[in-house]
Amino acid sequence: MLKVNDIGKKYGKFVALENIDLEVADGEFLAIMGPSGSGKSTLINILGLLDQNYTGEYLLKEKSYKDANDNYLSKIRGDQLGFVFQNFKLLTTYSVYENIEIPLIYSKQKQTNKRELVESVIKQVGLEGKEKNLPSELSGGQQQRVAIARAIVNRPNLIIADEPTGALDSKTSKEIMNIFTDLNESGTTIIMVTHDSEVADYAMRTVFIRDGRLYNNEKSVKR
Amino acid sequence: MLDKVMIALKSIGKNKNRNFLTMLGIIIGITSVICILAIGDGFTSVETKGLQDHNTKNRVTLAFTPSSDDDTTSGFTRNDLSVLEGIKGVDHVKLTSSNPEASVTVQHQTKKASANLNKIPKKLKLSEGFGSTLDADDTSNIFISKDLADKIFKDKALNKRLVINDNVFVVSGVYKIGDFNYRPDIYVSKTTFKQLFASQISQDEAKIYVQSSASKKVVGKSALNEMKKFGEDDKLGKYEVSHPDQITKSFTKTLNNITYFVAFVAGISLLIAGIGVMNVMYITVSERRKEIGIRRAFGATSGDIRNQFLIESIILCVIGGLIGIALGYGLVSIINHFLPFKAVVTAYAIIMSLSVSTAVGLIFGFIPSNKAAKSSLVGLLKEE
Repeated sequence: MLKVNDIGKKYGKFVALENIDLEVADGEFLAIMGPSGSGKSTLINILGLLDQNYTGEYLLKEKSYKDANDNYLSKIRGDQLGFVFQNFKLLTTYSVYENIEIPLIYSKQKQTNKRELVESVIKQVGLEGKEKNLPSELSGGQQQRVAIARAIVNRPNLIIADEPTGALDSKTSKEIMNIFTDLNESGTTIIMVTHDSEVADYAMRTVFIRDGRLYNNEKSVKR
Repeated sequence: MLDKVMIALKSIGKNKNRNFLTMLGIIIGITSVICILAIGDGFTSVETKGLQDHNTKNRVTLAFTPSSDDDTTSGFTRNDLSVLEGIKGVDHVKLTSSNPEASVTVQHQTKKASANLNKIPKKLKLSEGFGSTLDADDTSNIFISKDLADKIFKDKALNKRLVINDNVFVVSGVYKIGDFNYRPDIYVSKTTFKQLFASQISQDEAKIYVQSSASKKVVGKSALNEMKKFGEDDKLGKYEVSHPDQITKSFTKTLNNITYFVAFVAGISLLIAGIGVMNVMYITVSERRKEIGIRRAFGATSGDIRNQFLIESIILCVIGGLIGIALGYGLVSIINHFLPFKAVVTAYAIIMSLSVSTAVGLIFGFIPSNKAAKSSLVGLLKEE
């Protein structure tokens, strides 16, 4: 799915990432663990094509997007990637349905069956009947389900999740991780950042990051 | 596109008060634009109609201006008429009056006053008495103005007798004259006017119809010379060829100056409104950084973001423009009560106003929208 060769990033003199090498296969579920400030988010911003300001080489599906223009990157993000964030990042004045619909608005592919697509992912994350609710009327777990539905409505190849359970209690975290596991089993590649080892256990493989360096001492596959 | 319009409407609806205040400048600006254009268009149509009336191809008008303001009887006489008709190239001549009212003396018991009198129009609104006009051959009834009634009669004027130049009439109606309207003091029926008063009106205009083979200019000049030589009232005033276009020209000039002034005020108002729009768009953009980040992460290009905010800015201005058009329309119908001609809101004025509001939205929304589009994505996604 993706390959990273010797990626580095500096903020002034501060080295945020250094000598990062990483390979993620199609259909893999990778967890990236590390303490705060270790460079986890910086790394997934690069992997998610949100940040193009780095040294080294990053290939997504064997293609480098380093010199791609902004519009092309937007298209790739919209078509191939899906993001899930720690604080859900839902639009508070939009209903569940409208939040999930967002990626379809910008997709260049003809979407004649928008409603069907949105309804199918709502069913997939178990939010039937909540279409018209506002995020504020939902529990934390339900809000994260909305965020996941939004991330998968365009059927992306890769989902990038930044602390998806960071704001949830352990019971709700389990429910959310089960959804991720199901998605992964149906073929979607997932890269997830977490600092919770229990959550990381749902992944096939875990890598650690500390002070901008990646430690590939792999804790291997359980599932 | 429809998606973006819906997003924009939603965002505008969320901050109704703020956005209404922002629109206020646009509303005032567009209202003024509508009024200026309506008055201008109304005047132009009246003017062109008047010109067609006045300047028929084969007609030249000779006017007589008496040297004394009190002189209301001198002008062109029967003899003058035959002199004019004798000029080479003249087809026929019509004598008319620039002021078709007769000056009369009225009396009730011992009270006397002077007044202007004319024949009844087709319809008149009475404040006292019944009916809205007099029969053409009614020779006993008259309508008088409230002002005259107050001057002559101690109490009610209705059904009292009034002596006009030694003829007795009955006041059967009283009408009020609005502040900006002109009406004579007395109205009589057509027959009465013709029989008793028409002869008192000075014929101070000679409309000379020129044969198609002759030149209007030459005929006008020789008519003027003839009148200076043979005109019976030559000593009481001055003859001249009247140029109706000159009168309208000077009026047009005044109107244009007013228009420039109001346009200037409207322009300033729209400029200030535009700055308000810019300000509110800046606020909207910084309030919605999180939203911009989310949309960008899920496939929106920077162009999509710019367009979204531009559309919002334009919609804001166009809503203001529509309200302004409605208000302007209302204001024009009020103004029409006070204008001597009818101001009209044309389709052109409406299109013009909508274009101006769109332009304001586009111009003043551009910089904030661009700012939204150019923000760094990683920074945007850190927003909560």
